[in-house]
Amino acid sequence: MSISRIFSFSGAALVAGLALTFGVSSGTVLSLLTQATIFAIFALGVGLLLRQNGMASFGHATYFGSAGYIIGILLQLKAVPAEAAIVLAVLGITGFAFLLGLVIVRVPGIAFGMLTLAVGQMFFLTANRSRGLTGGADGMNIEWPATLFGFPMSAIVQPGHMFMLSWAVLIVCMGGLALGLHGRFGAITEAVRDNEERARFIGIRTLLPRAALFALSAGITSVAGTLTALNTGFVSPESLHWSVSGVALMMVIVGGYKALWGPALGAIVYFLAKDVLGDYANHWMAIFGIALITVIVFSPTGLAGALGRLFKGKRQPRAAAAQAAQATQAKPVKPSAPAARTAH
Amino acid sequence: MLTINLFNGLVYGALLIVMCSGLALIYGLRRVVNFAHGSLYMLGAYLGFTIASQSNFWVALVAVPAIMALFGVLLDRYGFRLLQDRDPLTVVLVTFGLLLVIEDFVQTVWGKSNLSVATPEALNFSVNLFGTAVPAYRIGVIAVGAGVALGLSLWLKYSRIGLFVRASSTDPTTTAMQGVNTDALSAGVVGLGTALAGLAGVVAAPFLALSPSMSSDVLIDSFVVVVIGGLGSLSGAFVAALVLGLIQSLGAVYLPNLSAVLPFALMVAILLWKPAGFAGSRT
Repeated sequence: MSISRIFSFSGAALVAGLALTFGVSSGTVLSLLTQATIFAIFALGVGLLLRQNGMASFGHATYFGSAGYIIGILLQLKAVPAEAAIVLAVLGITGFAFLLGLVIVRVPGIAFGMLTLAVGQMFFLTANRSRGLTGGADGMNIEWPATLFGFPMSAIVQPGHMFMLSWAVLIVCMGGLALGLHGRFGAITEAVRDNEERARFIGIRTLLPRAALFALSAGITSVAGTLTALNTGFVSPESLHWSVSGVALMMVIVGGYKALWGPALGAIVYFLAKDVLGDYANHWMAIFGIALITVIVFSPTGLAGALGRLFKGKRQPRAAAAQAAQATQAKPVKPSAPAARTAH
Repeated sequence: MLTINLFNGLVYGALLIVMCSGLALIYGLRRVVNFAHGSLYMLGAYLGFTIASQSNFWVALVAVPAIMALFGVLLDRYGFRLLQDRDPLTVVLVTFGLLLVIEDFVQTVWGKSNLSVATPEALNFSVNLFGTAVPAYRIGVIAVGAGVALGLSLWLKYSRIGLFVRASSTDPTTTAMQGVNTDALSAGVVGLGTALAGLAGVVAAPFLALSPSMSSDVLIDSFVVVVIGGLGSLSGAFVAALVLGLIQSLGAVYLPNLSAVLPFALMVAILLWKPAGFAGSRT
């Protein structure tokens, strides 16, 4: 995608979000859409790691929930103004994830997923047990000041405004990523993903870009956590639980991670489906579990892939043909595959 | 005091051995990290609860692994075998989907409240161990862990099928060319791994409460064990399971504030030192 197209798509998406805000008058629908949008940002972060690094994280709830905790604790201690607390939370989590990334991205493929899960659960247990600081299992209220960045708090948390804010952040994150991955960083990380050994041979230091990508993905997730803290004014260990990471990963897979916007689509579909299912939503785990298995088995590229095929099939048969030709070329053996073995 | 804590550490370590040998076996033949393993353990525990209350604990101890083995064979036949040529990550995510389905199933059938299974009569007494009274049932748990570890090691090392399993986990193509039915072998081994998860569940039921969170607790500990021990290594997993069991038990008593962090700190330290785990040869 060219740079001008990224800008025009982002602009169009912003206008569409604005139109939606004025078109929908129901506060319930708007707050549902706000939640969906916030999780779309979360899924964008998780999907980025999978798309660009080939790594599935089962522990991103850590960065989602920690953002709320960091802000809540800083505000409770009255250590810094709220604006600074937001910036500190996002930067702090990004920095922490970079350091953690230096350790855990060295672990190959699937073991990485197990590790992220284990580290995430450590944070969950710690937040649950440190009653003094975090309120333990009861969670903690976040004491937002009356004004934030010059806007009165009461105006920010109105359903329409909250949706507009979340939507704008989503589009800015997505556009920013599209731009950022357009250049050298995107090319390097893709080279490392496809064949780490070969990338190393041509002189790329593979550890730093992978850790940087991990940090970026955690940073985006922490933005989603910050918006949740703003939206609900409350944070609890539930938000750190690994099932939240699992849900985000599910959105990524169902939406399709090959396209940047796939995870966001997955998040919105997830929330709408959960709402439509209504009473059956008690069994959402089984329903989405089956949906997850079905998508993986029958449409590995997810909804985004299915939509893309529908779109391309009509408009650009040549592009599809070129893609097919590319696909027939021998795939390099992924270094992430443990003990590469031949099919039998 | 120290004796009882060391003892409890060994009990939990023995339970983790039963869990992790199942994980390691399935990984060895199918290259699948089974995220549903904890849910299979939970399913085993709840099935054990029902069977034990209908008849008795000893029937459950035999019946549950048998039921789970059948389930494992079906899982391999209609799941892992169909997906074996796909990206390993794909199959991991399928097991994650399976986890969600099983958890929902268990919550629907047995509800969300905590349940407990009575200690079987025959083992409901205490034994004096170095001046401390310990429940006999827990000694039985240690015996099960030791039996599984010893049995599996001997089976893999000395039996003909064990030889096939070892060969197939290194190179399934060549093994198949030598005339081994690797599909049947894999189905059998996945069945065995699943049966072990069920066995762990039944064995745990009388001393750990049955609750919807029991699966994730043990799954995460098992993952830590498998990563520390090295993904491909059964013996590494045995040692790591005992170490983790002891750390969990001693940490909870002597360093209560840090107890949640200790296993992970150990894991990070080991990975910095040896990214493949302390007994892992392959990456």
